[in-house]
Amino acid sequence: MTAAIDLLSTPTRRRRRRPSATVIFAFAVLAVAAFAVVFGGVLYPDAMRQDILSGLLPAGSPGHPLGTDELGRDVWAMTVAGAASALIGPVCVAVGSMILGIVLGTHAGYERGWLDVVISRWTDLLLALPVLLAAIVVSGVFGGGYWVTVVLLILLFSPSDIRIVRAGVLEQSARPYIEAARMLSLSRWRVMFRHILPNVSTLVLTNVMLNVAFALVAFSSLSFLGVGVPPGTPDWGRQLTDNRAIMFDNPAAVIVPAVLIILVASAVNLVGDWAGQRLSQVGKAL
Amino acid sequence: MTQPLPVRARASRYRSLGRLLAVRVLGVLAVLLVLSVVIFSLMHLAPGDIVKNLLGNRPASPEAVAAIREQYHLDDPVWLQYLKWLGGFLTGDLGQSIRLQVPVADAIAQRVGITLALCALAFILALAVAVPLGVHSAVRAGGWTDRTANSLAVVGLSAPTFAVGLLLLYVFAYYLRIFPVYGAGSGGLDTLWHLVLPAVTLALGLGAIVVKLTRTAMIRELESDYVTSARARGIPESQVQRIALRNAAIPIVTGASLVLTFLVGGTVLAETTYALPGLGTLLQDSVLFKDIAVVQSLTLLVAVVIAVIALLADLAYLLLDPRIRRGGLPA
Amino acid sequence: MSGVEIAGLTVIGHDGPMVKPIDAAIAPGRTLAIIGESGSGKTLTAKSLVGLLPRGFRAEGTVRIGERTLDLDAAQPAWRAVRGGTVTLLLQDPFTSLSPVHRCGDQIGWTLDAAAGRRLPRAERDRMVAERLAEVKLPEHVARSFPHQLSGGMRQRVAIAAALAADPQLIIADEPTTALDASNQAEILDLLRTVQRARSLCVILISHDLGMVRGRTDDVLVMRHGDVVERGATATVLADPQHPYTRALIEADPTMTISPQPAAVSAPRDEASPLLRATGVDKHFGDRQVLDGVALDIAPGQIAGVVGESGSGKSTFARCIAGLESEDAGSIVFDGVPLAPGRRSRTPEQMQIVFQDPYSSLNPMMSIGAILREALRVAQRPATEVAELLETVGLPAEFARKRPAELSGGQRQRVAIARALAPRPRLLICDESVSALDVSVQAQILALLMRLRDELGIAILFISHDLAVVRMLADTVTVLWNGRVVETGTCAQVLTEPRHEYTALLVAAANRENTAPTLDSPKKD
Repeated sequence: MTAAIDLLSTPTRRRRRRPSATVIFAFAVLAVAAFAVVFGGVLYPDAMRQDILSGLLPAGSPGHPLGTDELGRDVWAMTVAGAASALIGPVCVAVGSMILGIVLGTHAGYERGWLDVVISRWTDLLLALPVLLAAIVVSGVFGGGYWVTVVLLILLFSPSDIRIVRAGVLEQSARPYIEAARMLSLSRWRVMFRHILPNVSTLVLTNVMLNVAFALVAFSSLSFLGVGVPPGTPDWGRQLTDNRAIMFDNPAAVIVPAVLIILVASAVNLVGDWAGQRLSQVGKAL
Repeated sequence: MTQPLPVRARASRYRSLGRLLAVRVLGVLAVLLVLSVVIFSLMHLAPGDIVKNLLGNRPASPEAVAAIREQYHLDDPVWLQYLKWLGGFLTGDLGQSIRLQVPVADAIAQRVGITLALCALAFILALAVAVPLGVHSAVRAGGWTDRTANSLAVVGLSAPTFAVGLLLLYVFAYYLRIFPVYGAGSGGLDTLWHLVLPAVTLALGLGAIVVKLTRTAMIRELESDYVTSARARGIPESQVQRIALRNAAIPIVTGASLVLTFLVGGTVLAETTYALPGLGTLLQDSVLFKDIAVVQSLTLLVAVVIAVIALLADLAYLLLDPRIRRGGLPA
Repeated sequence: MSGVEIAGLTVIGHDGPMVKPIDAAIAPGRTLAIIGESGSGKTLTAKSLVGLLPRGFRAEGTVRIGERTLDLDAAQPAWRAVRGGTVTLLLQDPFTSLSPVHRCGDQIGWTLDAAAGRRLPRAERDRMVAERLAEVKLPEHVARSFPHQLSGGMRQRVAIAAALAADPQLIIADEPTTALDASNQAEILDLLRTVQRARSLCVILISHDLGMVRGRTDDVLVMRHGDVVERGATATVLADPQHPYTRALIEADPTMTISPQPAAVSAPRDEASPLLRATGVDKHFGDRQVLDGVALDIAPGQIAGVVGESGSGKSTFARCIAGLESEDAGSIVFDGVPLAPGRRSRTPEQMQIVFQDPYSSLNPMMSIGAILREALRVAQRPATEVAELLETVGLPAEFARKRPAELSGGQRQRVAIARALAPRPRLLICDESVSALDVSVQAQILALLMRLRDELGIAILFISHDLAVVRMLADTVTVLWNGRVVETGTCAQVLTEPRHEYTALLVAAANRENTAPTLDSPKKD
């Protein structure tokens, strides 16, 4: 009989590392942003109230820490109130795109056949379009509007999600554990959603975060170009466009929203990267 | 044991390659065709009366209306209109700009120089900085170059072009007064000087993508067996990196299409921010003004350019990877 | 001074020493084998001798090669001066150890340039490359080929030529034949031996395969968990092992069994009612014919072995039987009932599969218990029988709470077997199920399979590229070559009286026979 060569040994676990300072900072930024989104409207309900008499006050003026724009609106109030508009849309876009990606991508990747061909050609077509270009043109031609833009961006972002999910599903489908599930004659649905999807979830979740960042950029870009958010709504991208002319009189009116967009988008990216790394450790051989 | 491939086999290999390329080109043409239909239908799907839109600000006198109907073949069946429009596009007749009252082709020709110069400058700047940075980050993964490059890349990816543009404008043009604030200058070196800030703005986003691509690709190559093998044979480190880079070029080039889509959007934003008289601002203004003919022609033109560059990238991929030459392009 | 001397070689990782101090000496023209299973530290030892330890590992000790002595802890610049010209490493997988985008001649040329310290003029380099290729018995035109255009054996020869181009005194070969087909393995090792003798090289050969090492190496170190448990002349150690671990390894290794004896032939069952009868099975992938008229019979409770190298179609055949692939032509009849191609016509109670790679056979996101419960549910058996299933495959009941990532390869394979047994299939298909496991674990799994057949009466279709493994448990053996059956019969028949020359080749490889004369004659008891 063979010697009992470590029949029951288990491999050692790798030590857990705490997230770096940068990632913690990113979380903090997002927490503050979330707070502004939820409470901004409540705190500053009349951020857009005009007061010509207090127009163009520079930063540091009494009662207006960041100054006012040419219509007398307080920059700080507008910025806080503008967080909602700047962030809710992008999150909806990312979530919507993820849902489309999961539904269409899983079917395309697992079932293959004509469904896959149709979906793949469709994504190829959409991916050939530069997102911003298409958004500008369609928004511009049909008139903008916040939720119209959200739907449009969902449509434009979804092809990349569909592709990513499909690729992930294709890769998992070839793996023995999925074939074992087929050997057990499990139903298609069970295989797709109980077995494949959880193993693709890492990919999907990281992509959602990246999409929030990209959607944030796309949204504010569209607002900047004058499509998307109607005038009169507090919104960071809108602020940048409206206040470009007064940049040299009250630079804060332009710099603050610009920096905030960059900061929040970077924070989302960093958190997304970190989450992706952590998630990919789960279920891996140690 | 393999013998040198008989001549007949070699020839058939090239033939099947040619066939694959032809299929690819046809696919691209099909996509462009579909896009052209979509773009064409924009005019008809736009809210409001077509004729009114096309008239713009001019008075809607019966003669004007008739002239418009004549010019845009509005009495023809839709599919004929489409064919005439497409035919016009392919022969260089891109219609008339309502806003500028000049042929679209002229408007584009006037501005294409600036846009091309901007894109070229940004692209060269981005590559020249990002590729070496990416390689260096990969070679010393975890070192401070790597961490700095990574942080810059995150910012570059997250920062909308216009936001960066405005910030740079503020710092370098207003505060420090090094660069001019607006416009394209008076040609030649002056124009180049005017293009520096916009090019840097664009290059930041471009560079971020390229750095990430290069770094990921290089790290993967540097971990492969053939690199260990090469090192074990005493091949100098600089040459090992060149060998790895040559292998990494494949995923980098395939990822380069990401760069393209960014460039298109970014150019529009950069030109708008810096008030450069290029194709980007032309598009922007035309969209806001509902100058349909310009929008249609420009969009289709951009789509064609992107398609051509994507095909070239495929070709480059073919040249770079000898394994593909035998087996055919991946799906 | 000549030859190699290693003193106090130690490798230290995050959690402490991975390889405890080793001393060894090799005379020129002699080969030292380092034998061990995964986790023994043999690869770390190899890499430390060229200064290419992965990040997080540190080496201590010294090595003297010829006139040069080197501190194993030296910085990279010191190592760079020594690699190539003094010591070099030959890697396992010829599919990845050459750059895919550069021509073979260029890759050999790099080593020549590096050794010369300058870029050699083209004519001279071409001539030298041709010489090196000739040394490994490859024709000159290979220089212009890309690696993917060559077979595995040829690629490994190119890799050897590239490694030797700088004329090192010590070559460390890390499992140089594991990724190759059985027929190629012997050739490559014999080539290495020939080259070694011609150049008076010292060779360190790392392997897990005792049979491969027997008769081809002079001395051996047996490693386990970073310790050297036994050392000595190869012939002596293998004939008369002192340490229990060495003894266990030899017993477990299918190629080392004394007078290779086929498993006891079970009485041939009633030919008229086989459990599985496949006839005329054809399959194409594109314009490549993968299976051509393959036929096989399996009687109830019988273990049928199918042997073939990569590309023989054996896996495809198994998958057609299982319904995971659809055959283009032919019939598969199970228990008298003809089965249409595909899963639809099959039930889990008929047959199940155990796959090759234990690391991707189990859903990483599910616990062992959940995986088995799902399989039991399909068979309409209660979830409480999970413990029983685990016990059948020799695992404790607590494992139900664990996730696959916490289990070793052998343990995972047992879980895969348990899952396959849950629906009480009549046929168990083992597709290279032990090929990815260490020799000792392999022996345990094979023993488990035989016990399952004896206790449950289950028939087994056992597929492998290694006849040495198949002969340990199969009743019948079928040999596949290029999609065709070239031989079939009882295990004893095929092994002792092979009719086809390809079978004879496989039998020779199974016995790890040398194709070149050696200094010591292999012991045959």
